[in-house]
Amino acid sequence: MAPEHPKESHQMDHDAQPPPPSSKSVVKDAKKKKDEKKDEDLSEEDQALKQQLELYVERVQDVDPAIQKVALEAMREEIRTATSSMTSVPKPLKFLRPHYGALKSYYEKMVNAELKRYLADVISVLALTMSEDGDRESLCFRLQGSVGDIGSWGHEYVRNLAGEIGNEFQQRQIEEQPVDDLMDLVKQIVPFHVKHNAEPEAVDLLMEVESLDLLVEHIDKGNYKRTCSYLTSFASYVPEPDDTLVLDIAYQLYCKFEKYPDALRVALRMDNTQYVKSIFAACKDFSEKQQLCYILARQGISLDLDGELADSNEQRDILQELISNSKLSEGYLTLARDLDVMEPKTPDDIYKAHLIDGRASAGASVDSARQNLAATFVNAFVNAGFGQDKLMTVPSTESLTGSSSGSWLFKNKEHGKASAAASLGLIALWDVDGGLPLVDKYLYSNDNHVIAGALLAVGIVNCGVHNECDPAYALLCESVNKEDPTTRIGAIMGLGLAYAGSQREEVLKLLTPIVHDFKVGIEVAGFAALSLGLVYVGSCNEDVAQSIILALMDRSEAELGEPLAHFLCLGLGLLYLGKQDAVDATMEVAKTLHEKISKFCQVTLDSCAYAGTGNVLKVQAFLSLCGDHLEKGDSHQAPAVLGIALVAMAEELGLDMAIRSLEHLLQYGEQNIRRAVPLALGILSISNPKISVMDTLSRLSHDTDSEVAMAATVSLGIIGAGTNNARIAGMLRNLSSYYYKDPSLLFCVRIAQGLVHMGKGLLTLNPYHSDRFMLSNVALAGLISFLHGSLDMKSIILGKYHYVLYFLVLAIQPRMLITLDENLKPLSVPVRVGQAVDVVGQAGRPKTITGFQTHTTPVLLATGDRAELATEKYIPLSSVLEGFVILKLNPDYQQDHLSS
Amino acid sequence: MPTVSVKWQKQVFTGVEIDTEQVPYVFKCQLYDLTGVPPERQKITVKGGLLKDDGDWENLGVKEGQRLMLMGTADEIPKAPEKGPVFIEDLPEDEQGTAALGHTAGLVNLGNTCYMNSTVQCLHSVPELRLALKEYSAAVGTGIDPLLHSLTAATRDLFGELDKSLRPVAPIHFLTVLQKKYPQFAQQTNHGLYMQQDAEECWTQLLYVLSQRLQSVPQDEEEVTNPVVEHLFGIELKSFIKCAESAEESSESETVYTLKCHISSEVNHLHEGLKQGLKSELEKTSPILGHSTLHVKESHINKLPPYLTVQFVCFFWKRESNQKAKILRKVGYPLVLDVFDFCTEELRAKLKGPRKVYQETEDAKVGLKKKEKEGAEGVKALQNLGTSTSDENVEMVDDAGQHPSSSEKVCAPEPEVTGIYDLVAVLTHKGRSADSGHYVAWVKQDSGKWIEFDDEQPILQKEEDITRLSGGGDWHMAYICLYKARVALPH
Repeated sequence: MAPEHPKESHQMDHDAQPPPPSSKSVVKDAKKKKDEKKDEDLSEEDQALKQQLELYVERVQDVDPAIQKVALEAMREEIRTATSSMTSVPKPLKFLRPHYGALKSYYEKMVNAELKRYLADVISVLALTMSEDGDRESLCFRLQGSVGDIGSWGHEYVRNLAGEIGNEFQQRQIEEQPVDDLMDLVKQIVPFHVKHNAEPEAVDLLMEVESLDLLVEHIDKGNYKRTCSYLTSFASYVPEPDDTLVLDIAYQLYCKFEKYPDALRVALRMDNTQYVKSIFAACKDFSEKQQLCYILARQGISLDLDGELADSNEQRDILQELISNSKLSEGYLTLARDLDVMEPKTPDDIYKAHLIDGRASAGASVDSARQNLAATFVNAFVNAGFGQDKLMTVPSTESLTGSSSGSWLFKNKEHGKASAAASLGLIALWDVDGGLPLVDKYLYSNDNHVIAGALLAVGIVNCGVHNECDPAYALLCESVNKEDPTTRIGAIMGLGLAYAGSQREEVLKLLTPIVHDFKVGIEVAGFAALSLGLVYVGSCNEDVAQSIILALMDRSEAELGEPLAHFLCLGLGLLYLGKQDAVDATMEVAKTLHEKISKFCQVTLDSCAYAGTGNVLKVQAFLSLCGDHLEKGDSHQAPAVLGIALVAMAEELGLDMAIRSLEHLLQYGEQNIRRAVPLALGILSISNPKISVMDTLSRLSHDTDSEVAMAATVSLGIIGAGTNNARIAGMLRNLSSYYYKDPSLLFCVRIAQGLVHMGKGLLTLNPYHSDRFMLSNVALAGLISFLHGSLDMKSIILGKYHYVLYFLVLAIQPRMLITLDENLKPLSVPVRVGQAVDVVGQAGRPKTITGFQTHTTPVLLATGDRAELATEKYIPLSSVLEGFVILKLNPDYQQDHLSS
Repeated sequence: MPTVSVKWQKQVFTGVEIDTEQVPYVFKCQLYDLTGVPPERQKITVKGGLLKDDGDWENLGVKEGQRLMLMGTADEIPKAPEKGPVFIEDLPEDEQGTAALGHTAGLVNLGNTCYMNSTVQCLHSVPELRLALKEYSAAVGTGIDPLLHSLTAATRDLFGELDKSLRPVAPIHFLTVLQKKYPQFAQQTNHGLYMQQDAEECWTQLLYVLSQRLQSVPQDEEEVTNPVVEHLFGIELKSFIKCAESAEESSESETVYTLKCHISSEVNHLHEGLKQGLKSELEKTSPILGHSTLHVKESHINKLPPYLTVQFVCFFWKRESNQKAKILRKVGYPLVLDVFDFCTEELRAKLKGPRKVYQETEDAKVGLKKKEKEGAEGVKALQNLGTSTSDENVEMVDDAGQHPSSSEKVCAPEPEVTGIYDLVAVLTHKGRSADSGHYVAWVKQDSGKWIEFDDEQPILQKEEDITRLSGGGDWHMAYICLYKARVALPH
């Protein structure tokens, strides 16, 4: 048989090709004919086989059961032993095809039960090639046949059966018939798949028959990794609530094989605190527990470890400190020192005016408050977390030369001073012990703007880290109820930033009275609502929701028309961030609100509740909202555009589709939609400068509508945030000379430049982390707050509330990998860093990165990069190499004599 | 009496005893001894907020061994500067533009008036001249050409407009007055257009007018007669005239407003051109020989002005074609010019003092920078730096004191010229002959940036492009360079 195959496949190749033109085709045709002819007159061997099989078919229909049995067994033997290539049907099946009908009709007439089952088996296999689509004959005869080893008929047969089972199962579900016989088959197929490296197929089958829980017992040490990676990655494509089910299985599997860090990631993705606690209880290794704490800290979850979760008080303190994330600043500075970027940068180092060709401003001879404010922000973003800069923290010894720290502060005007003082917080980000002394003196200023900024700075310093002494609350709580609205806003926003995601009850008690106190200005109430939304993000907290709704009901129409009234809705929305239908009750209430704000509130609620879920239906709903051409004055389309991005950002496919849909909106949308599109593009490609998005934004940054241009410019900063991307930096430099006469746009360009060089390129704003598996709610909330602030660029960012930019702090994270030894001291090891490759569902051990380079930790990771250890000497305690990773010595490691 | 540990910034003080009998203020005073933070600036976190001065220890439930956090610094509270900065946004609308752009407006070309525009822009870049003009208000005296006055007044008004305006200024009035005073500038072509003129002529005439009318700011009564223009631009030359035949020598001194840079085939650089320009041969009747004979005149600078004008003599009258021709030879010029070599012996001796002081301050600056780099260790290095610089200062004073020539000058409060000049403005010509082509002014701003004033259009330029205007092609070619003196402050 073997020599036949090449020819056969050869012929198939010809068939696949379109007929070649002209004279050549004649020759080919002749050749083809020859091939066919050869097919007809088979080789002697095949001829013999064919005759043999025909004889069996005849004998099966014999009256003597003994002969029948012999014939059936022989036929079975032939089929089972036949081998075939991927492209052709096995010979016995091929020769039996003409007799399929005859065998089937004879089967109906058969009486001998045992033989009937035998024949059913054979027909079931034959049905693999013969059965009509949708008949599911293979399954049908299988069920009537003997219950033998399912794998003996070959892999293809099992796959076909699995497919038919899925269809049959659905059919029976509709008709409400029992499925027990199918489940018996499934129980045979699953172990077969799992054993043969086809875990994805086993998972698929179990998903079809809705009994994924059967999987757990079949998975073993060798294949749990592949299974779990398949489960976790296809969870994003399963509609809720099934996705939780899928993740649950993955969690169980990880727990089963004691991969607690991975289990913790799944538990966090499910947002299941109970699971998190049980992981801590189950994990016995102290180093591994520390690793768990690092993962919790990255996600920004504060967990109180009580007696059961920690072995001793001493260990408890260590773990609690890790969860508080107070080591973040230290680790970040380790990275900065290793990369030698500690030297502070000035805004002029970022603007690089000398690289601009042709006409540009010669530099103002008089200070411009707006440009100084821009420089304040640029300075803050660029030196974020480094604890030193050249404008705000210059040591006072140099005050003799006239450049003391106070003087830059006072180069800002009025509300600009608030942002300038607050920038100290960003410069000292995460370093509570070092940052608060810097801010302290400004708390005693006689200028309300400076005090407000200092209060905000206290909040920013504490953002994402928890200090055991809890200084932020102590410092801020009293100022919340001061008389001056600016001071109040500073303190309120500071609390929101410092306790985002913590669900601190004290903050609730402090801020709810402000939200529904209709005597305070709408701006204070708006910031209070937003801060509460941040603190209780994704918690669905009833009390907070009640007070915000009350405020929305009580306020007058004029007040609801103010730009900051939108923050009330946003605060409400953040409570339900990612909680999907938990928002429904509140949504009903939102429909009853004043028409001025009702629509806006509904859309905002919807976009927040489904943010990061990838829910296609929601994306479509938002798109259709954007299709309307409205009367002037309605403002709900802008959040709908953002909603498209927020919902679709969950996974790569939906993300790409959303980018294309946004292109359409740009073409056909009204002006208010076009203004939001750049921001939506920004969030879709955040800290991940994709060329296509970059080009679109670059084009929009020259748009005739100045608000579109402003949004596009800021978005250029967002997509390049913390990347030092040279292309974006060049674009922005050109924009700075293009807009040198337009102070508002120039301000936006400067902000974008600051963002691109954020943390001198060591930071990211991406709310997704751990191989894009986890979404940080707090970070996303910060981004949404910033985006909503940017929707009304003129009255918020360019107005008095530019400190809204500091909401970005919630999303700022170092994009680093630091390896630690078991005593948590930095340990330098070689790692390979390269472009991540999607290996989900692939058999074997495929390479997970491509185009890699070998570095020594600590190392910087770009978006889409993945790292793996380049040494066997250590074993990482976390499978995802991001952030802080503890390494353990590999007990099996043997020093290579050659390399030593 | 529980003992607690107190964390302050990155320090931890362990075993601090709390006397619960006393008010917390006493505890704060304890901490004041440890940290130096005054009690009223101390913020200590306790349950439910900050520790109050008169709080009750009972309610706070401070436990043995508890860790308290003390916040606060003894830093000085920043005060707003008495005179806050002026922001563009606060300025009246019509001034916002120039302030935002960082340079003044351009001048509209009124028909081949680029020679005038570029001259005005160059002269406008001299702040002392602007100041003097601003204060010019003298009435027309008798016996003075009234046109002198009106042209000076017109210049004053034009400068004022340039300082204020956002948009290009049209110098119509100025042109009319200029043409009235100097009718040659009113020549017209057959088509009724004004003819192109020589910018150098315009420059010279304008300076002449101003020198006639401008008096220095009367700081003290004696100096009233001191003319501003001469003070600013006047170069005192001392010339030795030597007769080739009789070897008789005579000397004379004169004040000129420009140094000529002669361009011949040997001249490649401004330095060589100036040297040639200061040496000339002339026919002169020798009183001894009684007939006209060849004399060699060699000039040296005897007094240096704050602003040194250098003219490239690149136009000459071509007899055969009966027009002014242009030498397109490339003559390089530096951004920093040292004229020490062209000075008389006396002046050189005078310059030595200031030059030495200047050199030392420059060295100190370089040394300063070096030390800053070395001193990565923060405060310690800063302290070293402070001591070392003050040491140098002392030395410098000593040095200056020992030097005989500079010792006289020490008492003089005014800064002294050093003979080193920085380029601040270039007037260029583009084209093949003096009567055609285009004049442009390139002016250095206070911010150190260069602006090309091409009539009404100011364009930002890079410094390295300025030296590329040295000719040798059809590109803009330097015609007049204005240098500003570097001065040294005597100790």
